Amino acid sequence: MTFKYFLVAVLIGFIFYLLLLRRLDVLRKAVISVVVLTMLVFAIQPDWSTSVAQQVGISRGVDLLFYLSHLTLFFVAFVYFLKFKNMEARLVKLVRQLALDRARANP
Amino acid sequence: MPAKRLDEVLRETFVVVPAYNEARVVGDVVRGLLATFPNVVVVNDGSSDDTAAVLKETPATLVTHLINLGQGAALQTGITYALERGASYIVTFDADGQHRPEDALQAVRVLSEGGGDAVCGSRFLGTASNVPRIRKFVLKAAVGLANLTSGARMTDAHNGLRALSRKAAASLDLTQSGMAHASEIISQLRAHGMQIREVPVQIDYTEYSLAKGQSSLNSINILVDLFIGRFLK
Repeated sequence: MTFKYFLVAVLIGFIFYLLLLRRLDVLRKAVISVVVLTMLVFAIQPDWSTSVAQQVGISRGVDLLFYLSHLTLFFVAFVYFLKFKNMEARLVKLVRQLALDRARANP
Repeated sequence: MPAKRLDEVLRETFVVVPAYNEARVVGDVVRGLLATFPNVVVVNDGSSDDTAAVLKETPATLVTHLINLGQGAALQTGITYALERGASYIVTFDADGQHRPEDALQAVRVLSEGGGDAVCGSRFLGTASNVPRIRKFVLKAAVGLANLTSGARMTDAHNGLRALSRKAAASLDLTQSGMAHASEIISQLRAHGMQIREVPVQIDYTEYSLAKGQSSLNSINILVDLFIGRFLK
């Protein structure tokens, strides 16, 4: 029971922090808020996750949350990997431009 | 149009050598090339050893990446530089001493005599067959994939020795900074309708070049890079 209160406190704190963040646009804030609020509801009423799970053919709520968290983490990792590759490509262009400029100056 | 004389062809040829931590051998490699080719451009790809100092002792042109980007990125930098300097033919040549200048000369000769837009070296043509067994298996798998994705019919896709016409070199815009660039070169040449030919070349496998070369496990990274590369286009 203690962990449940701890989890609820952390999630509520995270929602406040999210709302105060200026860097994120409204759409991103809304999407993340929905995810965190869903986690909050399931933390307060764990049985509800089982009801939802059974609607989609999964017997236990904890399994549904496990699958969803895996999917989310995979998606996030993939998006960041693409961003990293994109940044790497921009770095290559920058370093190349510097190399060529120096070579042109001292042929 | 009459064929150009060989000395004229060589004056218009730029050899691009990507080098990363090759201080032990790059000096000899460059001097070997300079005996035949007057224009040698070495791209020092952020080496942390004495590669730059060794190259400054040679008359080769040095283009320096401030940080290490990978062989594909270094090749593209060298090719861009050579095109700016008015190259009619561009040769790519590894810095680890496994290629022979006479093979580069033969590739340029075939290209200048009207042998397509690009001439790639192949270690699996002719009598060149001193390839270690595991490396042969990996290279055959790589060439199979390159042929499958590009529609080409190559026998060796990951050979660093190539001769490109100006038109073929200008059609390249390499995005694969690492070792997947070799397959990407074939794909881009094919996509631009360039005619590719192969000539047999000898690869001198030494303890040094085998240690410097890509590991067999790296072929998995190459596959991942090629796969991800399609998402980034």
